[in-house]
Amino acid sequence: MSASDLSILLLTLRVAAVSTLSILPFGIAAAWLLSRWKGRGKVSVETLLSLPLVLPPTAVGLVLLEMLTRSGPLGRLLDRAGVEILFTWKAVVLATAVMSFPLLVRPARAALEEVDPRLIGIGRSLGHGAFDVFTKVSLPLAWRGILAGTLLAFSRAFGEFGATILVAGNIPGRTQTLALAIFHRTQIGQDAAAFRLVALTVVVAFAAVWTTEVLQRRRSRFARSEP
Amino acid sequence: MAAKLEGDAVAVLGPSGSGKTSLLEVVAGLRRRVAGRVVVDGDVFVDSGSGKFLEPERRRVGYVPQDSLLFPHLDAAGNVRFGLKKGAGEKTFAEAVSILEIAPLLSRYPATLSGGERQRVALARALATEPRLLLLDEPLAAVDVELKERILPYLLRVRDEKKIPFFYVTHNAGEAALLAREALLLQDGRVRDAGPVHEVLRPAALSSADPETSFENVFAGVLELDPASGTTAYLRTSEGARYLVLRPDRAAEGGRAVFGVSPDDVLVSTKALEPSSVSARNVFAGEVMGLEPIGADTLARILAGGAEWRAKLTGAAVADLDLSAGKAVWLAVKTHAFRRLR
Repeated sequence: MSASDLSILLLTLRVAAVSTLSILPFGIAAAWLLSRWKGRGKVSVETLLSLPLVLPPTAVGLVLLEMLTRSGPLGRLLDRAGVEILFTWKAVVLATAVMSFPLLVRPARAALEEVDPRLIGIGRSLGHGAFDVFTKVSLPLAWRGILAGTLLAFSRAFGEFGATILVAGNIPGRTQTLALAIFHRTQIGQDAAAFRLVALTVVVAFAAVWTTEVLQRRRSRFARSEP
Repeated sequence: MAAKLEGDAVAVLGPSGSGKTSLLEVVAGLRRRVAGRVVVDGDVFVDSGSGKFLEPERRRVGYVPQDSLLFPHLDAAGNVRFGLKKGAGEKTFAEAVSILEIAPLLSRYPATLSGGERQRVALARALATEPRLLLLDEPLAAVDVELKERILPYLLRVRDEKKIPFFYVTHNAGEAALLAREALLLQDGRVRDAGPVHEVLRPAALSSADPETSFENVFAGVLELDPASGTTAYLRTSEGARYLVLRPDRAAEGGRAVFGVSPDDVLVSTKALEPSSVSARNVFAGEVMGLEPIGADTLARILAGGAEWRAKLTGAAVADLDLSAGKAVWLAVKTHAFRRLR
């Protein structure tokens, strides 16, 4: 592994970690709301949240790009605040965050839905408010599913390509993640160097997905109140 | 469903599906979509007319559901502590643990506890909140539950030591009569009867509403060791009756105990019985208060030794003995027929 391989790996791990951590509170909140919401429109909202899973990543990237250019709705606000996002590592974080959000929400929502609502009710009747019961009952019972979602989201962020290249470009040392570097190296005919990066991605992705599988298999251990 | 209840202990009876559990869940606040009005102690819990709903954490109601609903990720101690109010001391915790006798269970997780143990932990957890009202849902039809699994003896302690008013859902008319002053009989989601316990617990009406009702004779009292025998003891009840029972393991003089006698095990005679001529060691005179049909049989209610006894008789036996209200009878109950609940 060369020095440049290592710096690409570290950059990728860093942006994937920042991206995953930044969506965590929102993802858990969304999962919790969806798990408790039984009203109309739930399916529509769930579908909307899942869209990044099925849309071409370049389509998502293009929408983000339009929003973030100086004439775009978000770009104007950011420009006024003096924040530059496009073609920086922050753009990588943003693109991967949007793309991986549904992968966090879906397993987390499923795990929270498995928590018996009567357990939550009894927690409330024992004198704890809704947030307290969420942190003391729902989270401990659903943590495996939430962690599984977090790892899936991280894996997605780690390998994201299409949306990233549109909003962050492919700038070595700044925005060039592993996925982008593999593409770049094949383009310039350095196939062997590209394969070294492929090997790196396989190791990291395998570890993340394997952990997810193990966690999901054990998820329901505590989910029911009866043994 | 409408009832105004003022007693400190209310037994709730009725067949499965009559709305007993729903009633408790509405009062505890586990059900939000309710049409109606619930007022406790002057506080409006629910009023669908004005849209008022008091959040469950502000009701101070201790609910012990049928399935206990212990938190599976916490051990028994963690479950009980969950109910402790902020700033509530070790004293409340220790008291709840001591009344329910769960000290040996504290480090165990709900999945490793028996049904009766779970129920005791759940009751301790409810007590830890220092509630103003307890709601207890009997775990199973009490008839078939193993004696040591039954919650009744602990409930008596809670009633006598903590003096917290409660609702107790049960299929056991004997337990209801021992515990409660008022009773509520539900059927098809409606109140079929409500009022003083002896008025509501009429066996014929009760067993037609809920054929699973048990009419067990239940007695609470203190033990007096029998100096003449190492294997027997006397149970002295608050009504002043004295029954010869098998001496429980580790029985102590003056220790509290609760015993049940099935109505199937009570023998009725119209001739005077003498302990010298009958093997049963508990023999006493009484008077028939009433005869009530339950299913194909008859339940005789007999006032004897200051307590109301219930004896199950076949129709033929009632006819042959020519039993009727007011008739003098003698009861014989074997020592072995007294089964200790605790």
